[in-house]
Amino acid sequence: MQDQYSPMRAAIDIGSNTIHIVVARSTPDNLDIVEDQVEMVRIGESVNATREISQQKRDDAIATLNKYKALAEQHGAEQIFVVATEAIRQATNSSEFLQAIQRETGLEVQIISGSAEAVLTFFGATYEVNREPNSPSQVGVMDLGGGSLELITAKNMQITWRTSVPIGSGWLHDRYLPSNPPTYEEVAVADTFLQTYLQNMSIKRFPPVLIVTGGSANSLLRLVQRAFHLDMSGNRLTRDDLVRAIGLMSALPAEEIAQRYEQPLDRARILPAGALIIQKVMTRLRLEEIQVSEHGIREGVLLAYARYGDRWLETVNESADQAEQGKGTKASAPMASPKEETFAQSGRRMLLERTKKMLDWCDEVLKHEDVEAVHKMRVASRRLRATLDAYESCCDPKVFKKFYREVKEAADNLGAARDTDVMLQNLHAQMEQMPDEDRPGVQWLIERLKDYRQERQEALEQFLHSLDEDALKEQAASCIPKGVAANGKG
Amino acid sequence: MAKARPIKGLNPHAPTGQNARIIAKVRLEELYSWKKYIDNPYRVRELHNLRIAAKRLRYTFEVFEEVLPEASRPIVKELEQIQEELGAIHDSDVMIAMLRLCLGSQDSGTISDTAKRKEKPLVQPELVNDLLEPSVAPTAEERYGLESLLRRQEQLREEQYNAFRQHWYQLQVRDFRREILNILNT
Repeated sequence: MQDQYSPMRAAIDIGSNTIHIVVARSTPDNLDIVEDQVEMVRIGESVNATREISQQKRDDAIATLNKYKALAEQHGAEQIFVVATEAIRQATNSSEFLQAIQRETGLEVQIISGSAEAVLTFFGATYEVNREPNSPSQVGVMDLGGGSLELITAKNMQITWRTSVPIGSGWLHDRYLPSNPPTYEEVAVADTFLQTYLQNMSIKRFPPVLIVTGGSANSLLRLVQRAFHLDMSGNRLTRDDLVRAIGLMSALPAEEIAQRYEQPLDRARILPAGALIIQKVMTRLRLEEIQVSEHGIREGVLLAYARYGDRWLETVNESADQAEQGKGTKASAPMASPKEETFAQSGRRMLLERTKKMLDWCDEVLKHEDVEAVHKMRVASRRLRATLDAYESCCDPKVFKKFYREVKEAADNLGAARDTDVMLQNLHAQMEQMPDEDRPGVQWLIERLKDYRQERQEALEQFLHSLDEDALKEQAASCIPKGVAANGKG
Repeated sequence: MAKARPIKGLNPHAPTGQNARIIAKVRLEELYSWKKYIDNPYRVRELHNLRIAAKRLRYTFEVFEEVLPEASRPIVKELEQIQEELGAIHDSDVMIAMLRLCLGSQDSGTISDTAKRKEKPLVQPELVNDLLEPSVAPTAEERYGLESLLRRQEQLREEQYNAFRQHWYQLQVRDFRREILNILNT
């Protein structure tokens, strides 16, 4: 318990999934938290889709911030700090967003770098461990957010290595696990993506203890405790717990998960993605269990201010820079973000993504209810072919040839159907403007084209029924082999 | 059109952005290799190939959007417009070939004349069979309507070609090719 005269302060974190507030009496080493609230706003959803923060998300964020400001004032907070992370870093309209917040709430938001985010998270996630008599000398901290993942290692509480990766639970959900519940195929593709991505991460030190923070980790802990009747006061998750939780969430829709295990629905939707990321990171770090912390960046902001005063952010940035300089160049290089990937890495990722996008339209095309489905699947097949054309020189020639042939066959079948749809649309439009005496001729042609379109639909359906989707995904995943060198053709 | 030209000089271990620029430059050269046919409205296949080349360049910019400069976005819009204009011309060419076929004209661009050149026919063989099925041959009244439609389509095609050509020369005035190269060189 803090001295009642310790200053009361509030810290708000605008993340990709949530906006979170903590109000606490704070000293340099401890916090007495009097308020801790979170709202799922999912700004990252809009940024993932359009690269912009939508008007709706902006309004939701401002409403939440106004509510939090009132809450902080009720508790007599002397200062309110607001920081923003990955989704806001990525948004093309972040300046307008921050101006709107300032105008409508009077709050000033600091967009912090991935490095500063890592340091603040580290402060917040470890302050309780530090107070334990036998605190570990080496520790890792992972902050799993909606749009990014921060990973930090430290020795004697000095940060030795850190990395920020733009993969978060919301991002993985939106890109790879959109179904409710996620399908077996979606989980398999997301699993392959994460495995490939994490394999490329060079890790300097493998921490014996990993503290995981962030909304997904905490919700997952509560879900596991409730679902498997574990001690509700514990803070550990084992690898087995995660495997069972992923199995459960793949079997039940988010609505049922939310209801059964008392989770907000928006959180329940993205929880399978969070579980999958944590599981894969544990595998990569060779850990059998993790500790989950409720504390993170917000508590880190309050501790940093209590330690460094008004220059808290500059000091945190300096600490982050020192951690960067302390790491080696190659041995500890952080894993690549999508913008920094090598050509082979981006190729593996994109071939999988685009194959999946094309296959996502199969069911709609087979329903034969909306001609736009054929159009969308054809466009997806063209984008996949363009990706294959670009990466041909990196591909295993045998796999490439087979894969390319299948994609081309799909595109040809879709093209024949789509071109006929367009002709029919054009003829119908023209007929409306034609004199009566010309119409029988156009009607004759429309009838012939309708017959032909039906034949194309049958051919297309036959092709799609014979298409082995798993084999195609496998070809996409293995087309660019590990340790690739540009082949002779390139 | 033939399969996309394989790209030389790519390095799988280099950053994606570096390789993306090489690919885009090759696709740009492919596009401009068809430039000489632009003033001839009846080089139907070459204009179609120009459209495919524009599409490949556009998709290259889209596939590598994350690693190419922001300034590429207006370029993608222009390419999309070129592709749409040429697409409309191609749709008209297919419709004209089909109508000529139905009306018995020799110059329809269907199987017989294209087979000799080993090109993909403008009208798919299965559709040709459906259109020429004797049991559903058009009556005199229907032929009248088809002839009228053919004349309208030919006129529309001319308008579409003129619109495309005008747009193309506007792009040449501002040196579109150099504009793209400058972006790719940043």
